[in-house]
Amino acid sequence: MKKVKTTVIGSYPVQINNMELMKKYFNQTEISWEKYIKKAVEDMVNAGIDLISDGQTRDPFVNIFFRKLKGCRIRDRAEVIDKIEHVEPITVEDQKYVKTLLPPGKELIGLLTGPYTLTKTCVDLFYNDEKQLAFDFADALRKEAKILQKHVHMIGIDEPFFSISIPEYARELIVKIIKGLSCPTRLHVCGDVSNIVPKLLEIPVDVLSHEFKASPHLFNVFKDYSFKQHICLGSVRSDDTRVETAEEIKTHIEKGIETFNGRISQISPDCGLRLLPRNVAFQKLKNLVKAKEAITIW
Amino acid sequence: MFSFTKEQKTLEISGVKIGGQPGMYPTVLFGGLFFKGEPDFENAKKHIQNMLSLSKKTGNPGIPDFFIRREEHLESIIDFIEENLPTGYPFSIDIIEPSLKIIALETLHKRKLLHRTIYNSIHIGVTDEEREALQKHTPEMAILVAFNPKDKSSDGKIEVLSNGANLLDKGLIDISKEVGVKKTLVDTAALAPGENSGASIAAIPVVKEEYGLPTGCAIHNVVEKSTWLNEFKTARKTVDVSSNINIPLYGGDFAIYGPIENTDLVFPVIAWQDILVSEYTENYFGVSPVDYHPRRKFF
Repeated sequence: MKKVKTTVIGSYPVQINNMELMKKYFNQTEISWEKYIKKAVEDMVNAGIDLISDGQTRDPFVNIFFRKLKGCRIRDRAEVIDKIEHVEPITVEDQKYVKTLLPPGKELIGLLTGPYTLTKTCVDLFYNDEKQLAFDFADALRKEAKILQKHVHMIGIDEPFFSISIPEYARELIVKIIKGLSCPTRLHVCGDVSNIVPKLLEIPVDVLSHEFKASPHLFNVFKDYSFKQHICLGSVRSDDTRVETAEEIKTHIEKGIETFNGRISQISPDCGLRLLPRNVAFQKLKNLVKAKEAITIW
Repeated sequence: MFSFTKEQKTLEISGVKIGGQPGMYPTVLFGGLFFKGEPDFENAKKHIQNMLSLSKKTGNPGIPDFFIRREEHLESIIDFIEENLPTGYPFSIDIIEPSLKIIALETLHKRKLLHRTIYNSIHIGVTDEEREALQKHTPEMAILVAFNPKDKSSDGKIEVLSNGANLLDKGLIDISKEVGVKKTLVDTAALAPGENSGASIAAIPVVKEEYGLPTGCAIHNVVEKSTWLNEFKTARKTVDVSSNINIPLYGGDFAIYGPIENTDLVFPVIAWQDILVSEYTENYFGVSPVDYHPRRKFF
């Protein structure tokens, strides 16, 4: 049986020391973010997570991309003011750094914020055509993915806005990014996806990732379908500071095993952990690992 | 040379006016004191007198910027300010450590000097305690340093001013309003060569057009960090002084020009540049310079 991996959706809470950054400004010395990435990665490693992310400590997950894509600028919200173009690697350097921190046996997931989510979270002052904007974001993300695939074990695409209003071109949009990639891919859609499951199942990624802990009714919804993708089972809440016990998580995973049989390939928090206190996020990951280890059939 | 479509605020502290459309007011010049070692008050006195004299000659207001590194220097520097600056004359205090900034605000309050104080500065390192202290003992004016470690471009500077770049709960402009500072200047945060140092100049018109606030920077810092200039020792000072002309040329309102020892060179250079800007902006945009503008003084 293929190993089921513990993983994360993306973000991890690390406190940024603003005064330290400011002192570097006053001394005119180089600013590095590696310290913060390292903290996030070390916590994931120490918690026992198998497939690790860079923690997305630099920015909220949309701003990481808005900040570096040509055609965008960040004001109160991100604004699109010109044609979207990928002009430089966005996340690649951080992944290279994370790889230097990983002990043997640990793997790395590279993360992309989905084109539809980018489209829905910006103020479009240029295109006036949502579909065209989404496809230009997808094109830019495809370029990022092509570089990224050489440095990571899997690429995850985070598309929370699909759960609010999935467009009829959702499949086409994601395919544009993943087509021809040599590494496996995961699509994460948080929120209640119960009404869009058939559309999600049309998308040819390797793994579908959803919030099964916050939306346990999804077990019943997925029961009605047969599908090829594997499942990343959201197993601890990312919007609640209560730390689930390993026993509670184990019971949840068992429910997942019952529903999906052998299709679970990853277990993770429901979503990014950015908004939780760091000690809470760490404990949740530890208990997630403990619960997975207690599953005897794995 | 240009004029802004956004209405430009003119702020006043103890009779010194700063801001407005390019060509209207002379560039305000901040000369720094006590960067290193123990404060040398005798030397400082001499340099401040010189600054005031040159300021009178060219019309460019000169503001001494007191760098306070240690708590034990605080009282003596404030004594010096009270005894040696003309009555009611403005000054700025330049402190890095948040805890010392809080003590300085309390001291300035006790000494009834806050109405003359330019607080240098509020930035992403502002702590909750500092915010409380600012609310309690509010200086007349503050400088907001638009340094954004995530984005060194003009956009990044606007971001940190408007929303704090996710490093603060709100932007620096809202923080200054929240603590009750009514008059704010924006320092566009000059960075070392190789770190998009030109963005501090390019950001001046961007910030002024976005907020209408008086804007400037310490472009001198970039020269200081240009180690390649060591090969041109005789030119270093010329480059240092002349770097400041970028500020009025790009519509800026103030220059933090480094050590007050550079006063003799900086004032005439900036006066010359102010005249150049004023000639054009009056002819093309109809912006008349005030009566103490260098163009009025020398022509």
